[in-house]
Amino acid sequence: MVLELQKPRPIWQIMFSTHHTDIGLLYLITSLAFMFMGGALALILRLELFAPGTQVIADSMTYNRIFTVHGTTLIFLFILPSASAFGNYLVPIMVRYKDMAYPKLNAVAFWMIPPAGALIWLGFADFTWYAYPTYSTISAPGPAADMWIFGLKILGVSSILGSINFIVTIMKCKHPDLPLSKMPLLAWAYLTSSLITVVAVPTFAAALLMLLTDRLGVSGFFNPTLGGDPIAYQHLFWFTFHPEVYILIIPAIGFMYEIFPRFSRKPIFSHSSGVAAFVLLAIVGFASWAHHMYATGMSFTEKTVFMVGTLAAVPASAMHVFNFLATMWGGRIKFSTPIMWAVGGIALFFSAGAGGVVNSAMPLDFITHDSYWVVGHFHLFVMGTILFGTVGFVYYFFPYVTGRMYNEMWGKIHFILAFVGTVMVFFTMHILGLFGMPRRIYDYPAFPEWVQMNIIISFGAFIIGISMAIFLVNLIYSSAKGKPADMDDPFGLGGKYYFPYKAKTPHTEGGGYH
Amino acid sequence: MIIGLGIILGLLVILPSIQYVLAAGDEPGEYLDRRIEIWGLFYRLMIVAFTIGTVVSGTIVWLVLRFRESNPKAKPTEYEASGKW
Amino acid sequence: MSGHSNWPEWVYIGVVVALLCYVGAEAWNVERIIEHVPADAEVIKVIGQQWLWTFEHEDGTKEIGELHLEKGKAYKFEVTSKDVIHSFNIHDYTVLMDAVPGRINIVWFSPTETGEYPIQCREYCGLIHYNMRGTLYVENGV
Repeated sequence: MVLELQKPRPIWQIMFSTHHTDIGLLYLITSLAFMFMGGALALILRLELFAPGTQVIADSMTYNRIFTVHGTTLIFLFILPSASAFGNYLVPIMVRYKDMAYPKLNAVAFWMIPPAGALIWLGFADFTWYAYPTYSTISAPGPAADMWIFGLKILGVSSILGSINFIVTIMKCKHPDLPLSKMPLLAWAYLTSSLITVVAVPTFAAALLMLLTDRLGVSGFFNPTLGGDPIAYQHLFWFTFHPEVYILIIPAIGFMYEIFPRFSRKPIFSHSSGVAAFVLLAIVGFASWAHHMYATGMSFTEKTVFMVGTLAAVPASAMHVFNFLATMWGGRIKFSTPIMWAVGGIALFFSAGAGGVVNSAMPLDFITHDSYWVVGHFHLFVMGTILFGTVGFVYYFFPYVTGRMYNEMWGKIHFILAFVGTVMVFFTMHILGLFGMPRRIYDYPAFPEWVQMNIIISFGAFIIGISMAIFLVNLIYSSAKGKPADMDDPFGLGGKYYFPYKAKTPHTEGGGYH
Repeated sequence: MIIGLGIILGLLVILPSIQYVLAAGDEPGEYLDRRIEIWGLFYRLMIVAFTIGTVVSGTIVWLVLRFRESNPKAKPTEYEASGKW
Repeated sequence: MSGHSNWPEWVYIGVVVALLCYVGAEAWNVERIIEHVPADAEVIKVIGQQWLWTFEHEDGTKEIGELHLEKGKAYKFEVTSKDVIHSFNIHDYTVLMDAVPGRINIVWFSPTETGEYPIQCREYCGLIHYNMRGTLYVENGV
């Protein structure tokens, strides 16, 4: 374990460390802190939207800044770093190597995150996490906008450096006795998401630079009065960010590939199907970006091409669902907290995907574009699947990092409240979108259906908030005072098929991949 | 159940085909109403989504109940028995 | 790998692919039908700007924030923007099209019922995006 709160290691030892377990821990603590911060912003938004008229936010610009930082924080400062956290901790162990390929670069990549986070939070830009021109170039107030652009530039570089590290560690430092085809699926998840990152993210880096020079007035890439095209930004943005959503979800699916077999007491139904599904998703994920742009005035043929590209990625995700269900079938499942989160995550993943298939149908965009349907849809992915998978894995990982067990009853209560809240909030948002409520609005007319649904959504959001408060207390209290865990079998699964990821660190004895 | 699914899918194919044949014209009073087309597509896709959704969620619920370790019919997996993974 | 037969997974993938083909074909067909603009549709220019909608009829009449149309006629909107990206939306008639500076986007419809319908903006455009609203009045023809 790397976090022993009763006999703490000197803080500087963790902070200056280049060992993969320490960097993993740094990423984890940072990402969870941002998770709570970004989530708190959502609660403020939902307080405001509880009823028409002004509630707690004095003006619309503040509201706009809050939703922009909410989205930016949770994607770039929570989901991506939390994936890096577990990747850093586990990938070297999974490939039977002593550390990541480039430990110092690893530390550099992590330490870019706090300054970037500071830029984003101190700036509090208002132009949504997309930063579409021409609003972002001619209308969004600085310096917030410029700070956001710099912050994201830094995060992009950090992502790329981390991905290079994962790719080289897996492809070049893997133990010679371990063929790629037998590598655990979680390691495959990191390999594929890292490959997507190095291909997709540089495009956004270019787009950010172009946005900055446009803002400074030295270029007109996206300025129609200077011969540019605002829609070009959208192509560049979504060329990165559609594959990016796969970068976000693939590690969470990887976490579920760890949890389902362990707690079902049997191996994954088909390892090769999992590998094929990850690789297929990574490739086909590049073919669908402009389904985010159906309303921009694209031609019928363009829209059709992207619809086909979107639909083509669905079978890969369907393969993962099949794999998980087939793994549970015939097992003897112990429903501890981690697998409850994983099962809930898969159920919500399916609903998110079903909504996504509906979205890909171009004519339906006329109903749903930029409405709460979209908000509900993507939150079922980021909250319902990614957060559920990640939190489940945090619970699974807890004994290995701290040597103690979290409180099981409160872990289950956290799950039940979060699941009920997620369904209440995001399913209702789908219906609210069908009734026409646009996204990103500070206030709304008092249409009765909109008012009723907003009340339900705000209540659900507070249920999620309460569940997250329970999580925070459980994490902190159990790290310091939890019952010491049986390090050979913390979950009482019995047998040798569970996988204790005991790392050899400079600070603990024993451990190693078995 | 297969027959039920087949009927649903059949309807989903036949109804749009009928509409294609009796397509809207181009004169005043005969313009197509885009709301009907778009929402019609939406309802058809919702039927598909909810049918699959029932199957998938029903399967998940059944799996969770049948294979939980506290189920009276639960027996050790072959991997527990042999200790080989 | 696992040594057991994998045919259920292939059947499952086959079903998934068949359903996706259905979705794709239906969507393609509906889009094709609704994109066909009738030849005699009356052109209305829609100009979005921060934070109001301006409408120009063929006869030169301008309306701001309100649009008066006749039931049963076909109208083709030429949508553009003067500053940032907006999105012209009459939700009750499923009319939605981005207003992009530097280009003109086309969407058409035919109102079939009289009444008053909200017009709203569906792309974040800053301070008063939330209240960039208007009203469509559909009246019986003369």
